[in-house]
Amino acid sequence: MSVIEVSRVSRHYHVRSGLRWWRRQEIQAVRDVSFHIDAGETFGLLGPNGAGKTTIIKMLTTLLLPTAGSARVLGFDVASQPGEIRRRVGYVFGGDRGLYDRLSALDNLRYFAELYGVPARAQRQRIAYVLDLVRLAGRERERVEGYSRGMRQRLHIARGLLHDPPVLFLDEPSIGIDPVGARELRATVSALADAGKTIVLTTHYMYEADELCDRIAILRDGSIVAEGSPADLKSRVSEGEVVEAVVHSLPADAIARIQELAGVRSVTVRDLDRAQVLLVQTKPAAQLAAEIAGCLRGTAIQSLSVRAPTLEDAYVELVGGT
Amino acid sequence: MNSLRILVIGGLTTYRALFNWVSPWILVPSLLVMPLAQILLFSYIGRSAGIESDTFFVVGNAVQYSALPCLLGTASTVVGERLQRTLGIVLASPAPRLALVIGRTLPVMLNGLAVSVFGLVAGSVLLGLPVRPATLGLATLAIAVSVFGCTGLGLVSAAVGLRLRDIAVLSTILFGILLLCSGADIPRPALPGWLAAAGDWLPLAHGIAAARSVAAGGGIGGVGGDLAAEALLGLGYGMAGVLMLRLLERRSRSAGALDLT
Amino acid sequence: MSAGRLLRLVAVSWYLHLKMLHRSMFDSVMQVVWPLFFATTALLVYRATGDRDALSYAATGAAVVTVWSAVSSNASGILQRERAFGTLELLVAAPAPFSLSIMSIVLAVTTTGGYAVAATLLWSRFVFGVHLAPAWPLPFALALVATVFSFGVLGFLLAVAAVRYRAVFALGGALELPLWLACGFLVPVALLPSWLRPLSWLLPPTWGMQAVRAAAAGQSLWADLGLWAGSTAAYAAAAVWVAATVLRSARRHATLSLT
Ligand SMILES: Nc1ncnc2c1ncn2[C@@H]1O[C@H](COP(=O)(O)OP(=O)(O)O)[C@@H](O)[C@H]1O
Ligand SMILES: [Mg+2]
Repeated sequence: MSVIEVSRVSRHYHVRSGLRWWRRQEIQAVRDVSFHIDAGETFGLLGPNGAGKTTIIKMLTTLLLPTAGSARVLGFDVASQPGEIRRRVGYVFGGDRGLYDRLSALDNLRYFAELYGVPARAQRQRIAYVLDLVRLAGRERERVEGYSRGMRQRLHIARGLLHDPPVLFLDEPSIGIDPVGARELRATVSALADAGKTIVLTTHYMYEADELCDRIAILRDGSIVAEGSPADLKSRVSEGEVVEAVVHSLPADAIARIQELAGVRSVTVRDLDRAQVLLVQTKPAAQLAAEIAGCLRGTAIQSLSVRAPTLEDAYVELVGGT
Repeated sequence: MNSLRILVIGGLTTYRALFNWVSPWILVPSLLVMPLAQILLFSYIGRSAGIESDTFFVVGNAVQYSALPCLLGTASTVVGERLQRTLGIVLASPAPRLALVIGRTLPVMLNGLAVSVFGLVAGSVLLGLPVRPATLGLATLAIAVSVFGCTGLGLVSAAVGLRLRDIAVLSTILFGILLLCSGADIPRPALPGWLAAAGDWLPLAHGIAAARSVAAGGGIGGVGGDLAAEALLGLGYGMAGVLMLRLLERRSRSAGALDLT
Repeated sequence: MSAGRLLRLVAVSWYLHLKMLHRSMFDSVMQVVWPLFFATTALLVYRATGDRDALSYAATGAAVVTVWSAVSSNASGILQRERAFGTLELLVAAPAPFSLSIMSIVLAVTTTGGYAVAATLLWSRFVFGVHLAPAWPLPFALALVATVFSFGVLGFLLAVAAVRYRAVFALGGALELPLWLACGFLVPVALLPSWLRPLSWLLPPTWGMQAVRAAAAGQSLWADLGLWAGSTAAYAAAAVWVAATVLRSARRHATLSLT
């Protein structure tokens, strides 16, 4: 049975741009998105900033209404049955905010336990349990203002788990956390998945999605451009090869010339400090390295290599392909 | 010529910094509604107690309220300078100091003057008091001198506030003290002696007395002493304030006690 | 959720927000000192008349109205503050009724206003020598709490109505003294211009204060308390309605998380 069903959901925003406040502009944040998530799955929404991940999460947690389409969480409609959903889902977002800095972690949890209607008798035990789960036990009496980024984030998750929701929404939980903190966070999330929670995770880190998610939907400009297990997504590009060249001062027409080569699937360019990284994804056995080098004649090539594609390449092709 | 330029340019920059964060949504409530409310409140308290006249309270509170924009404005000018890390430069620059200080505080004073005159006119109209142009002109002069006095005090409060790291609170407390002892609402005989004495050495008391006297139809001749006293107080506080700011700056340089730079 | 649970929610939320408010000592002190300046000025004016009754009339009113200074300057910014903390969305996303969550925060703010009441009472007792000896102490205390509570309800309405207004602290400040004047705390309502009086009758603190004065004089206060209850309930209902409307509009127009 699907725990979450999203069918043809869209959401737009109206913004007034700076000085011309009388001009209303419409932003399509989510366009005609459909997917479903089964019980116990960890589902990743992957995409660059502004792709619409948060907007989808907010619609599913009933904070925003879809402008078109419909969605159900645990069988309840997000537009007309917000109360039912709010009782049964946990919502956690990344970043510094969302906690009362002047209170201790314990007080923060007490407060939200009340807001979520955790029975008075069960509270003490439940709070101790979630603190233990996110490895904050022993530090719960300290004020949150003294917490590190990673500790805050784990406290956030503890807060989201207070009422033991079967469904958990995690919106970019690892944003701004150092690598060690992020690894601990991933451990916490996968422990929750093992405990049978249905988890919706948004991120723009590939490896995070790869490690944690059973299935991933890749978003670009509000639309899902690919969906499947990490292995599926990798296999979409695994048949080909990736030619990666580090060059200096790439001529403007080089990209166009490479794109015209037979067997080229996509070309992307990333700017480094003083060099540019050119990624060319090719069809299987195209053997294009020499021809690509030919297109780059006159450019200083620092290195050029051919390798097998990774999930990151799949992602780059899907969201950043030119 | 150079002094004049410093005065104008310095003033303009300050004005912009001061009013950058000020929108009509803040201006109207805090500079128009609040003073009017204070004027009406105390005028009715006066009526209820059967003490003094409406004019007494309208003039007193209209002039006294200018203390808020003056104190806060001067303080935020100095803080704004600190935020822009230029206070040290300003204080150390060889530009003629008096011109600089007056230039910086001129917009604050004009603002205070406008607030007071508005309160005076609007309060009179609401309470059905006559507004005569000639009287208003003389009252405006008295208000201008009072505003000068408050701004001088504002410099002192800015210097102290800078040390305490909270400027708004000090300004607010000073506003309350001025409300009590300037005689804006409490008739002089009813004021406890020590409050009255404090009032004599703070801005506003003399200015308010002068404004009341001209509002009652008195000529400019009768209030010369009060106006001079008020102006002298302003000058004294202003000079003390600038001195304190300089001292703070020098200490911060040698001890690193204050991040002025 | 059951009534017991909701009550517990209000109590816990009130306690924790009060704890947070106490963490900034400076604000707490200012909240007492600021209205005390106005109260003292008013009392000095009344003392000048030499009329003891007038003085104790003003002292009673001044004590009660100081709460409003804390509420008006603080309550209007509650949603803004929650938004800055990033907790506003969490309050909305929680199953607890949003109005109740906000109301309990307003109650915490109102409670800190109570310190000003106590301070003003002590001040008028020891500086002005006003002995408040209400004829009916218990009903007097009841009416006092009722009046303070109605200020809380006004603050609640202000808090939810001002959610879109950025400069809300200025608005709160501008509403401070008008209520000092309008509700019969320092000036009898009968003395106000006739066009202003209906406005006073529409404000619950007016009836609360009448009840306080009735209890002080040993007259029946139940009619006033009835009017107080009716008008307070009307304001509370209006605030709940406004909160619901604001939430609905926020879901539609995405205005909650805007910083
Ligand atoms: N409250 C809002 N008002 C106007 N535009 C918004 C609002 N929230 C998000 N957007 C816009 O919608 C798009 C999608 O945003 P979001 O869902 O936050 O993306 P993501 O979480 O993937 O970074 C972006 O272009 C963003 O600027
Ligand atoms: Mg996002």
